[in-house]
Amino acid sequence: MEELYALWKQRIEERRPFQYIVGCEHWRDLVLSVQEGVLIPRPETELIVDMANEVILKDKEMKQGVWVDLGTGSGALAIGIGRLLGNEGRVIATDLSPIAASVAAFNVQRYNLQDVVEIRTGSWFEPLDEFKGKIVGLVSNPPYIPSGDITGLQAEVVRHEPKLALDGGANGLDDLLNICKGAASFLKAGGFFIFETNGAKQSKFLVDFLNIQMEGSFQYVNSVSDFAGIQRFVTGFRK
Amino acid sequence: MRSRRGLLLFLCRNGNWFVKYQTVQKCFHNHHHLLSSTTPKPCFPSSTNTTTLFNHRSYSTSGAAEMNPQISNDLIKIMENRLSAIEQRNNYLQNFMSQPEASPSEYSRANKELRKIRSSMELITQLRAKQKEIDGLKSLIAECPEDKDMHDMAVEEMDEAIEEENRIHNLLLKSLLPKDDADERDCILEVRAGTGGEEASLFAMEIFRMYERYSHKQGWKFEVVDVMESDLKGFKEASGAISGSGAFGRLKFESGTHRVQRVPLTEKAGRVHTSAVTVAILPQADEVDVQLRNEDLKIDTYRSGGSGGQHANTTNSAVRMTHIPTGLTVAIQDERSQHMNKAKALKVICAKLYELERSRLHTSRSKLRSEQIGSGDRSGRIRTYNFPQGRVTDHRVGITHHSIDDVMQGENLDVFIDGLLLKQEMDAIASFGSDE
Repeated sequence: MEELYALWKQRIEERRPFQYIVGCEHWRDLVLSVQEGVLIPRPETELIVDMANEVILKDKEMKQGVWVDLGTGSGALAIGIGRLLGNEGRVIATDLSPIAASVAAFNVQRYNLQDVVEIRTGSWFEPLDEFKGKIVGLVSNPPYIPSGDITGLQAEVVRHEPKLALDGGANGLDDLLNICKGAASFLKAGGFFIFETNGAKQSKFLVDFLNIQMEGSFQYVNSVSDFAGIQRFVTGFRK
Repeated sequence: MRSRRGLLLFLCRNGNWFVKYQTVQKCFHNHHHLLSSTTPKPCFPSSTNTTTLFNHRSYSTSGAAEMNPQISNDLIKIMENRLSAIEQRNNYLQNFMSQPEASPSEYSRANKELRKIRSSMELITQLRAKQKEIDGLKSLIAECPEDKDMHDMAVEEMDEAIEEENRIHNLLLKSLLPKDDADERDCILEVRAGTGGEEASLFAMEIFRMYERYSHKQGWKFEVVDVMESDLKGFKEASGAISGSGAFGRLKFESGTHRVQRVPLTEKAGRVHTSAVTVAILPQADEVDVQLRNEDLKIDTYRSGGSGGQHANTTNSAVRMTHIPTGLTVAIQDERSQHMNKAKALKVICAKLYELERSRLHTSRSKLRSEQIGSGDRSGRIRTYNFPQGRVTDHRVGITHHSIDDVMQGENLDVFIDGLLLKQEMDAIASFGSDE
């Protein structure tokens, strides 16, 4: 009883996220283990797997190739996509945080995907050298919140979730831009990408950036809304 | 082919008839020859034999106590037309499926239809084989009137074959009776409290539980979809998804108003009240049936307003799905992730659309079952649960069961369901001929 009371107090007074208290989060049809130091996967992000699935169903090559999930956190996207690939393709998931990497590895084990999903510790593309120009699909939910907005986030988020997974620099675009540039050199021709963003402003900026600044690298670049009607994702294909 | 084997066995037991076996073979050869040649009519001499045979067919087995009641010639004629139509359709579909340019959805639709007629096709193949055998025997009988042993034997075989043909005809008739396409499907049960306030809600809950228990007894899966509770923990409205083989087919006649007569818990003076709940059974659909287009669906979550994404942490994963062309809306919140709520919402929307489509078709389709039994619509009371007298009466088939507790436990619902199914079948046979 006392233990429960202590947990309750943590929840109410310290605003400790419910998912950290129970140690897991239901995401899509998965139950993922989470703990302090790992971002709790969000419902919006579930859609990335649906969109990846559409691409995979259309093109057999997509199912048999190498996918990457940059900044995997709990491993949610990597596992969601790994389950779509069956035994034909592979997913490499990276994360700079050793805690995230170990939680992701645990979750991968839990779904018995260790032969499909590989976790590597390191920043973005850093541990992926050998896959330059060979990747068929790239997904990421990188930190995208402008540094100035961090203190104004919901208490559960700002007090307990890792800044590393949230803070995207002055305008929130530091990591997204980094990933866009990397996508040009790591994706193979025809390769697919999808990133989560902070909303309409970032999405529009990134669509323009990919079309104009990186002219000739990508095609069919688009922003896609989440169920709340916010332009949440940017998708496209390497030319 | 089977008749030949039959003859062979018969003859082997009487070794001295072996020579005649060869005769039989020869007759068959002759017969085949006749059939395959372009001679206009295979020769059935209009001998007395043939006449007796036809008489036999029409009258001799028409006793009421027969296991396989003789089907009238008219009915057989009608049936023959249908059978050849099915055969043609089967060939067409088989052809279609072997063409590479069929799109996946066309392919799956064709496959579905094929599966539907497969059991009929099996029977038809059996029937054709039997008919061929009978033809063979006929010509055999015609060809050797002088050999008495041979003749008797062939007639005996013929009797068996005709009996068998009759049996297959009966099975086919059953399989041809208008079947509700949805019978094999899973279904969604909706129970609503009607007149009678709290008491109706309490009874709605009991009825809901009754179907839950019944489903478990049938080995079906029962999943509660949504419950709206009343103040006394009764159900104002409740819906459940029932999946298992033939669930809709068995439960469809449960649709309608169920009346309860008893002294309610809420009644202080001990008077008997009459209240009512309505039950609706909707067949579940898969997406192929309801051509659901993504762009017709609007999905929203109850998070609109905030910035969402990494900004917020929530455990609320409710989803509301709207089918724009029809304005149908469902909200699901009992699953644990948005993705799962969405999947369930889609299932419910599909079922509702399918029912809309069905009822649209239904109104324009034949009278057959529905008026008499009242499937689907919610009009009229169909059953009364009288607690003081301990009985349940179904008003459509006039069956009363005297152990109300068993019924409420989901035990003896079959008494009513079987009665209703039988009634449906009889009505269908009655209108089979006139339906042409």
